[in-house]
Amino acid sequence: MSIAGDLIRGHTDAIILARLLQGDSYGYEINKVISTLSSGRFELKEATLYTAFKRLEELGHIASYWGGSGPGARRRYYAITPSGREACYRLLSEWRETKEIMDKLLETEGNA
Amino acid sequence: MRAQLEQYVNLLFAGAPEAAEVKQEILQNTLDRYDDLIAQGKSPEAAYRLAISGIGDINEILGQPTSPVAPAEPASETEKWKNPARAAVLRAMGVAAFILCPVPVLAEQDVEGVIGLLIMVACGVVLMILAAFVAGKQEKDAPRTPQEKLRKSLNSLVWTVAAVVYLILSFLTQAWAVTWLIFPTTVAVNSLLEAILDLKEATKHE
Repeated sequence: MSIAGDLIRGHTDAIILARLLQGDSYGYEINKVISTLSSGRFELKEATLYTAFKRLEELGHIASYWGGSGPGARRRYYAITPSGREACYRLLSEWRETKEIMDKLLETEGNA
Repeated sequence: MRAQLEQYVNLLFAGAPEAAEVKQEILQNTLDRYDDLIAQGKSPEAAYRLAISGIGDINEILGQPTSPVAPAEPASETEKWKNPARAAVLRAMGVAAFILCPVPVLAEQDVEGVIGLLIMVACGVVLMILAAFVAGKQEKDAPRTPQEKLRKSLNSLVWTVAAVVYLILSFLTQAWAVTWLIFPTTVAVNSLLEAILDLKEATKHE
């Protein structure tokens, strides 16, 4: 996480959109999934997560609503919008291209 | 520990009452994280520490670095000087200096007397200025229309001119027994001016 953290953080928006593509969710749940999927090697700070939510909402890529689950807990849920879906697919294909190029550029004899 | 977390988040957002919804969201996420850590078998202290470190830099959300609330300080520094009672005392002393200023001249009847008079006038002016400064706040707070302002400045102009005329005439003619009549005359002139202004305002309103 210490080495790749900044690199991954550069793709916060794509990560959040990809998570919301699986269904509506809220702050901690999204962070928890990120943590689980990365086997605890990566996690977003609340402040970073929230800033990304706000930015994506302003762009119209996600929408939010207050919902409650469990006793007394009031959570802000996020849902992906059609334009968010589009953005997510675009970012995903960009990432695949980037990954492919990076793999090629960093490929050496002993390290395939 | 949950209550402490709530306190901690409240403190983080203490300077940003407009961010109530953000606070609610961050707090809920932090509490969720805390509960989750406890469920994983962490001690309350460890869970508290981890939950707080998970919040990150709040200024990222609030958009700008929280500015220290320094600008309030200089105002309270000058506020200390504002005191209506002290202003009244200073004003009274100033008036006393003005009233008593001819005494040195009456007693000495020569240059020394004149010097004494000028010193007393100077003292009176200094005291009046101090009084105005000390009373500054109260005067600023009072509602003031442009007409009132005009009257006030006109009034002080009339009295300043009267004082200057009185001193010049008195020294030139040495007729101290007569020149004091300038002041009652000034009162009359002042009243006349007030009446004219009143009349002007009354006709404007019609």
